[in-house]
Amino acid sequence: MQTFFFLGKGGVGKTTLSAAFASGISNEGKRTLVVSLDPAHNLGDVFAEEIPWKIKHLSKTLDAIEVDVDRMILEYLNELSSKLKHTYRYLSVMNLEKYFDVLKNSPGIEEYATLEGIKKFVFEECYDTVIFDTPPTGITVRVLAMPKISLIWTANLVSMRRKILSRRKMIENVRGKFEAEIEGEVLELTSEERNDPIMQELLIYKKETKALSELFSSDKTFVNIVTMAEDLAYFETKRIHESLTKFKIHLRKIYLNKFFRIENPPPEIAGKIKEQERVTEMMKDHFKDIEIREVPMLRESPRGIPQLLDLYEKFIQ
Amino acid sequence: MSALIVLIGAIIYLVSYFTYGKALEKNVVKVDTKRETPAVRLRDNVDYMPANKFVLFGHHFASIAGAGPIAGPAIAMVWGWLPSLLWVWLGNLFIGSVHDYLSLMASVRYDGKSIQWVAGKIMGERTKTVFELYVLFAMILIIAAFMATFTALASKSPEILTGTVLFIVIAVIEGLILYRTKIPFNLATIIGVVMMVLVIFISFKWPFINIPNIHTLYILQFIYIVFAAALPVWILLQPRDFLNSFLLYAGLALGLVGAIISFRGFTWPAFTTFSARAVGGQPSPFWPTVPLVIACGALSGFHSIVGSGTTSKQLDKEINGLFVGYGAMFTEGFLATIVITSIGAFGLEVLGAAAAKVTELGVDMAQLTAGGAYLGNNYVKAANAVGGTLAVFTKSYGMMLNKAIAIPATFGATFAGLWVSAFVMTTLDTTNRLGRYAWTELWEPVKNSSAGLYAFLSNRWVASIVVAAIGLWLVWGNTYTVLWAGFAGTNQLLASIAMLTAATWVKNVQKAGKWAMAVVIPAIFLWITVFIALVWYLFKVVPTLAAATKVPMYIFTIVMLILDIILVAQFFVSYRKGPELEASK
Amino acid sequence: MNEFLERLKRFLKGLEIGMREVSTSLIEKELEEYENVFALITMGIFSGIPSPPTGIILRLIPHMQREMYVMLKRSADLDDVFAETLSHFDIG
Repeated sequence: MQTFFFLGKGGVGKTTLSAAFASGISNEGKRTLVVSLDPAHNLGDVFAEEIPWKIKHLSKTLDAIEVDVDRMILEYLNELSSKLKHTYRYLSVMNLEKYFDVLKNSPGIEEYATLEGIKKFVFEECYDTVIFDTPPTGITVRVLAMPKISLIWTANLVSMRRKILSRRKMIENVRGKFEAEIEGEVLELTSEERNDPIMQELLIYKKETKALSELFSSDKTFVNIVTMAEDLAYFETKRIHESLTKFKIHLRKIYLNKFFRIENPPPEIAGKIKEQERVTEMMKDHFKDIEIREVPMLRESPRGIPQLLDLYEKFIQ
Repeated sequence: MSALIVLIGAIIYLVSYFTYGKALEKNVVKVDTKRETPAVRLRDNVDYMPANKFVLFGHHFASIAGAGPIAGPAIAMVWGWLPSLLWVWLGNLFIGSVHDYLSLMASVRYDGKSIQWVAGKIMGERTKTVFELYVLFAMILIIAAFMATFTALASKSPEILTGTVLFIVIAVIEGLILYRTKIPFNLATIIGVVMMVLVIFISFKWPFINIPNIHTLYILQFIYIVFAAALPVWILLQPRDFLNSFLLYAGLALGLVGAIISFRGFTWPAFTTFSARAVGGQPSPFWPTVPLVIACGALSGFHSIVGSGTTSKQLDKEINGLFVGYGAMFTEGFLATIVITSIGAFGLEVLGAAAAKVTELGVDMAQLTAGGAYLGNNYVKAANAVGGTLAVFTKSYGMMLNKAIAIPATFGATFAGLWVSAFVMTTLDTTNRLGRYAWTELWEPVKNSSAGLYAFLSNRWVASIVVAAIGLWLVWGNTYTVLWAGFAGTNQLLASIAMLTAATWVKNVQKAGKWAMAVVIPAIFLWITVFIALVWYLFKVVPTLAAATKVPMYIFTIVMLILDIILVAQFFVSYRKGPELEASK
Repeated sequence: MNEFLERLKRFLKGLEIGMREVSTSLIEKELEEYENVFALITMGIFSGIPSPPTGIILRLIPHMQREMYVMLKRSADLDDVFAETLSHFDIG
């Protein structure tokens, strides 16, 4: 299965290109799913269809879904909240709601939920291709980097937990099983990894995260940037490329969207066209191993699968 | 005579326990059988949990007893056995045990908070800082003092040196057995004890490690400290600590038996001279310098830390506080009594047995054994022939056991030496760890201005090496008596904080009326004594130090004196202020 | 006679318990410290301390009831760490 990520700023045409690519690929016979993680949720507009937060079949080979990340966050926290209210009933002094407010707004919660959204589909067996229309680049880069970062933290936590368990074992050898008393209730504290819920959770999490991390760096994942031939865009693209490289994620294609291909440009946009030429040169020069595609400015924004297919065949294939 | 002294000591302690002790309990601490201790009230089975009083006594006693009650009195014999004994009995009774007991109970009344915390509350926040600085100085001085004392002993006794090294080995083995295998505890304990006996036997028969060069020993100890303090506790420190307690109980029990059965008269003079040369070869007036020599055994500030740190959180009933706090200190005094007794009875014989070496050092044996001022002025010097005053004790102990239960004298001496060195080595390890922590705390302010520098300074290894290195620097070229006095001085200063805090507590919070004097008078007496002793130390001893260490020692001593003045000022302010702070109900 | 033996047995038992405690008190202290650090790292997010990515924390929190309890208790005692730590070490 192949995974495609289309990164890009808002308004740059990312959703349109993702949709076009999805239309084209599914037309070639590949079972395709296109997922929108972008809170702007323009996917439905581009396909001229209502796309809910459940899988919608757009054609025999093309499915689409819009993931509501905020809703996911709330759902998850509510589930956590009820789970905790049950296990932490002894900690009556705690004001749980207060803590959840902190979590709801904690740095990284959006990235986490987005990653969870990706996880849901990225190991699916029933698709040949999964395409992600991503949130604004800042978040997406952090999301793609997160598995590697998480692995480092997880490794540290595992090693620390092992130290704790080994010391418990030493004391157990002499004093017998560990028991802790919390507000009248007696808990047994284990020294075995297989009985320690925290260790088990860490190890499962490690496995999942490793799989994701490897997937993102593998040749089955294609990360593409949709941008425009402008100076600022060039710098931004450069930075994204650096970040991704740091986390061993390969940038495959750069789409220069809304490219001016005008026979007789009016003087008002002469400057822009010069900039475009310059930037295109710079990009070709700097991003030597990456394919740079020019997708011209269209007379009308494509709507619906037929028009998207047209876009695909003409410029993206 | 030996039996008599030990018996009198026991009687004095027992009688005082039931009269003076009980009176303190009733009128000063005002023990209330209905009031719950924090161990019960705040029980969390993490830090707070009530412990059986015998178990707690054992814990507390093992924590407070170290090499202190042995090394100190061994040096103090320089004034004759009577003054030393009187300080160990009366000083302990009126100051030391009161200090221990009140630190414990004050802490109990403040939810088990440490004496440092209580001092901060009762005497003002500045006292907390003074406390921390004292502790930091103490850590470094302990390393120097203990390194020096041990080296003096080990350089002349390959048996003890061998034993010390072998002990490290068996401690590691014991750790593996106890914590890494499924061998049941009781069996593991027996194995440990058997290994210890084997070590003593092997060191006695085949003392194969012989390093007479004290500088080499210093370096080796330095390396040991740095590495030992870096290891996780289960590998060496913890099993060591565990085995040490057996040595302590055995040493105490055998010492008691030996003193009574050997039934020996004292050959050592009761009194040599008032200003015997105790510290750094200088004439040291018994008052005020005796607290700079005998610390633990009579009075020790560290006990207040132990008592108010862990013990107070585990006391099950207020009524047991006397047994644990007061009683444990008496027991330590009793240990010091045995030390004095053994040297009193056999000390001169020990020196006589090394007559050739003693004469080589320029001391006249005949005059020495005649007693009087000559002994007072040359005891420490003569003792160097056998390994310092500590060696006089270990060999006297050996002779005492030999007389009492016919064990070869060298065997007994090796046992005693190992007993002391075990505690010394453990203390060196722990103080380095603590010194490391205090050192990192000290550089806290640098964190904001130079993160890189702070990261370097607070690195575990750097901190460990620095602390040990400072200790090494101090010890190089200086005699152990000088460093011991420095350590004892900081110890007594810590005790001053505790005593002054207790005095303020007793007067203002407890409102003990007339009975407050039982605490206030010793507190003031202690403060005056220690202050004058330190001033004496500053002018009479520090100038005689090795040039390289003069400056830091000047700085240490002057800073400590200044802090001491701040301390007593805080005391008078809060004492006058009256009952402002109520202990928690 | 029986009563004496009974008392002796209880004394020895007490001694044994005491010795068991002595043999592990430092390790226990070390364990406590490790648990504190673990709790602090994983729940530091509630105090604004840099912590692992939220994902890890959300996965672990349901299992960290005791850790949370210990951390809350510890923060109440933070003003007395120095001397309390000191007291565990043998400095005769």
